[in-house]
Amino acid sequence: MEPGTIGGLLNKQAKLGEKCFLVVDAARLTYGEADAKSARIASAMLAAGIGRGSRVAILFGNGPQYALAWFAAVRIGAIAMPMSTMSTAHELRGLLLNSDAEYLVAARDYRGRDLRQLAGKAIGAAPSGALNLPQLPVLRQIWFGISELEHAGTENDPLVAAAEAQVSSADIMAIVHTSGSTSAPKGVIHTHGQVICNMQRQNISRRLTGDDALFSNSPFFWIGGLAYSFLASFIAGAKLVCSAADPRGMLDLLEAERPTMCNGVASTVLALASEPTFAQRDLSSMRRGNLYPIMPADTRPADPELRYNLLGMTEAGSVCLAGPHERDIAETKRGSFGMPVEGIEARVVDPDSGEDAPSGELWLRGANLMQGYLGHERHECFDGLGWYHTGDMMSVDQDGDFFFKGRAGDIIRTSGAQVSPREVEAAISDLTGGRMSIVIGLPDPDCGQLVAAVMIGEEPFDAEQLEAGLRERLSPYKVPRRFVALSQCELPTMSSGKVDLRKLADLARVR
Amino acid sequence: MFAETIPALLRRNACDRGAQDAVVDHNRRISHAGLAQESAKLASWLVERGVNRNHRVGLLMENGVDWVVAACAIMRLGAALVPLSTLLRPNELAEQLAIAGVRHLIATPGLRGRDFRAEIDALDRTELPSLRNIWWREELAEGGATAASMAQAMEARVVPADDLCVIFTSGSSGAPKGIIHTQGAAIRAAAAGLEDRCIRSGTRLYLPMPLFWIGGFGSGLISAMVAGATLLTEAEPEPGQTLAFLEREHVTLFRGWPDQAARIAAHTSFPQTNLSGLTPGSLDAMLQPSLRAKPGARANVFGMTETFGPYAGYPLDRDLPDGKLGSCGRAFSGIHLRIVDLQSARQLAPGETGRIQIGGRNILRAICGREREQTFTPDGWYDSGDLGSLDEDGFLYFAGRADDMIKISGASVYPSEVERALETIPGVSRAFATAVEIAGAVQIGAAVVTELDASEVARLAKERLSAFKLPKRWAVVAALDALPHRSSGKIDRQALRTLLTSTDKNG
Repeated sequence: MEPGTIGGLLNKQAKLGEKCFLVVDAARLTYGEADAKSARIASAMLAAGIGRGSRVAILFGNGPQYALAWFAAVRIGAIAMPMSTMSTAHELRGLLLNSDAEYLVAARDYRGRDLRQLAGKAIGAAPSGALNLPQLPVLRQIWFGISELEHAGTENDPLVAAAEAQVSSADIMAIVHTSGSTSAPKGVIHTHGQVICNMQRQNISRRLTGDDALFSNSPFFWIGGLAYSFLASFIAGAKLVCSAADPRGMLDLLEAERPTMCNGVASTVLALASEPTFAQRDLSSMRRGNLYPIMPADTRPADPELRYNLLGMTEAGSVCLAGPHERDIAETKRGSFGMPVEGIEARVVDPDSGEDAPSGELWLRGANLMQGYLGHERHECFDGLGWYHTGDMMSVDQDGDFFFKGRAGDIIRTSGAQVSPREVEAAISDLTGGRMSIVIGLPDPDCGQLVAAVMIGEEPFDAEQLEAGLRERLSPYKVPRRFVALSQCELPTMSSGKVDLRKLADLARVR
Repeated sequence: MFAETIPALLRRNACDRGAQDAVVDHNRRISHAGLAQESAKLASWLVERGVNRNHRVGLLMENGVDWVVAACAIMRLGAALVPLSTLLRPNELAEQLAIAGVRHLIATPGLRGRDFRAEIDALDRTELPSLRNIWWREELAEGGATAASMAQAMEARVVPADDLCVIFTSGSSGAPKGIIHTQGAAIRAAAAGLEDRCIRSGTRLYLPMPLFWIGGFGSGLISAMVAGATLLTEAEPEPGQTLAFLEREHVTLFRGWPDQAARIAAHTSFPQTNLSGLTPGSLDAMLQPSLRAKPGARANVFGMTETFGPYAGYPLDRDLPDGKLGSCGRAFSGIHLRIVDLQSARQLAPGETGRIQIGGRNILRAICGREREQTFTPDGWYDSGDLGSLDEDGFLYFAGRADDMIKISGASVYPSEVERALETIPGVSRAFATAVEIAGAVQIGAAVVTELDASEVARLAKERLSAFKLPKRWAVVAALDALPHRSSGKIDRQALRTLLTSTDKNG
């Protein structure tokens, strides 16, 4: 079997036996179980018709069930398509349709949401039995939970081994969705070899080894959680610690599991630092990482901007720009994102001339880069010399260190999630009978950017009702936290006639 | 903009020229409207049995209307067609089924004495875990109403980025190469060459090539569908029957390999066959003498499976411009060419010979089982493995396979230039040059098809080739058939080398 496949990796790491791979609050999964249980589920999946190239949507929060469903599908060459547990029925339907999902394996419920009900609403039919729905013509079957599959599967099924042997490192492993410049999320295609090789190399540079325990709450349905936490830990033979508990419970878990490293979005752990018992907690095990608010004082930077930031993107298979971030950097490097990781070639280009420039758009290519976007041909994803134009504006200094300058597009980054203004604007238009709006990100100290909707026109609108409607339709993180009304003639424009988004943001902030 | 998906092409042809023949074989003909209808019926049957978008579906059948209906049914659903050669031995078939991850297989139970049913039933299915269904051609039928509406809904989701096919190259050195093309790239590639290849709406095109390789599939079927032309095809070309078929079906364009045309034109019934509808652009051997081109005056239209057929050419009904003789013409739209020196990774200037690298929108998406870095250069170009040069006007000159380049006392010799020189000898119809090892040293050997005797050929060769390029071993035969061929119809160079080293005809 090829070492560059998930099946090969599972067989190798099975030797770690009783060693713990994943802890999510009270749930645990060992390396031995990850292999044996996922093989059993894979056996049932094969019997149900899933095989090499089958597209299997996976809808679970971080936890052993996600791990087992994901490993089971991918080890036999099926393509795992993790989907956000925050999805509304409307969003889930769009994801299933656009990704050509043939199968869906979902949790029965997640954080109090009944996912069976959600799925039923999404597909517009009872989510059971063999499906034949003209509105979702590719979808064949849905399972809730993994126990049914686990019971149906047989142990040491020779068919599983035979299926694994056919999988090549060049086969598609996963399709991960990301919000982009279009109203519908884009499916980003990655192969086995690509992600495994990338994480093996990054484990060396971030020194993630089998002796480590990594704390990260990045969701496994996005690339950061999937590659940089879940797969990176599995490849390293490390223990991965996640939590969905309240701040107190999360601190209990950290004291008990004693992670050596942490990774994620700092704003998501602010609540821990303000928990009343925080000062008495022993978090001294955490020596490395970027969740500065909860790291021991002697490992924390004087100023977070004086540590190298990480730039990750779904298209680059997670982190693509990084620097050693255990020591403070010089003031001249303030805010730097470091340099391209191995497997990434990066340029900063003047978008008009296509020439290298000290400041301009970030272009990437290399082995770590996606195969492309689902449903798009290569020339729609890469230029004629293989470059992916990221839409991020950056500058680069004489040492080759990169600095972030903003987005060329208008994607909003809020607490580690990406929001497409187009998607939110389209939803507002649908709910208001065509009312025009401009959705922008306002600077916010805690979450980076805060989603705001500027409603254009004189007519009054009921913000509460609109927000309730948007909650029905959009994941919570996409719903604007602020609504501002502006008449057409108040709209700040640039000389080109386009809306001046910077001025608009200033206006929206003060209203 | 033209239709860039198979379902869109089928609809357009049914609507614009529904009554016109789409495909004709010896026993059956089907109109464009009929093809749209029949393939939709079969598509619903396939959906009923579990075929879904993105599945790989193998097709093992001889050329004919049935092949085309099945292929269209698969492609219109957004599943990927995997054409399989009927020449494959069972172990080779198993290998290709595994490489392509074929999930469903449609096969003819038998052909020319082969019992495919028995052979396929005997395959070790535990080695083929992806293969879930095998259907024999006589089972194929129409699905129910629910399946038909599901098939329609699936069809509505087909986009140019969907995989159209996994098609294997006919070359047989190393592991089989399964080339993956998208619907968009394949259809654009076929469309880009139509004008130069003289394929138009109304053309009645004949190619003596199997549909399971790119020549029959891309340059034949898909080109005819994109052009709105008629494809004349035969299960088993045999010169006498082919001539009768071409006369009956009023062929207007005959494409293929020159050897194939020569073989048919040599048949006794050729002079009595009325092929007056044949137009320029057809292979010369088939044309009336008054319509023929000067030898070597037309472009050597040039392509490969990875580019879905020809990627460079020049109008085949016109002589090449002055000074461009021997060229393959210019890159078709959607194709970019560059010549690179692999050692220095330097792009070469006009006139310099190096590796032909191909970029642009109309090339392969991927090769089965190979990662992108093994398939494309870091900047996304495909290295063709061929040698050639571009002149200042962008005309491409082919110099041979890179693997074929022969180093003799430090100098580079390309078999193709030796072949071209030998073919200018009056009375020589074909020549093949290759490297042979004689007493531990690499030398050039050549096989020549001619009525001339060996010493005369050697004498005339001396007038045309510098000494180091002169073949040192000769095989002189009167007919092409006397030389070893592979099952694909191409010359078998390995066997040719054996023949040349064992022959004692020294020049």
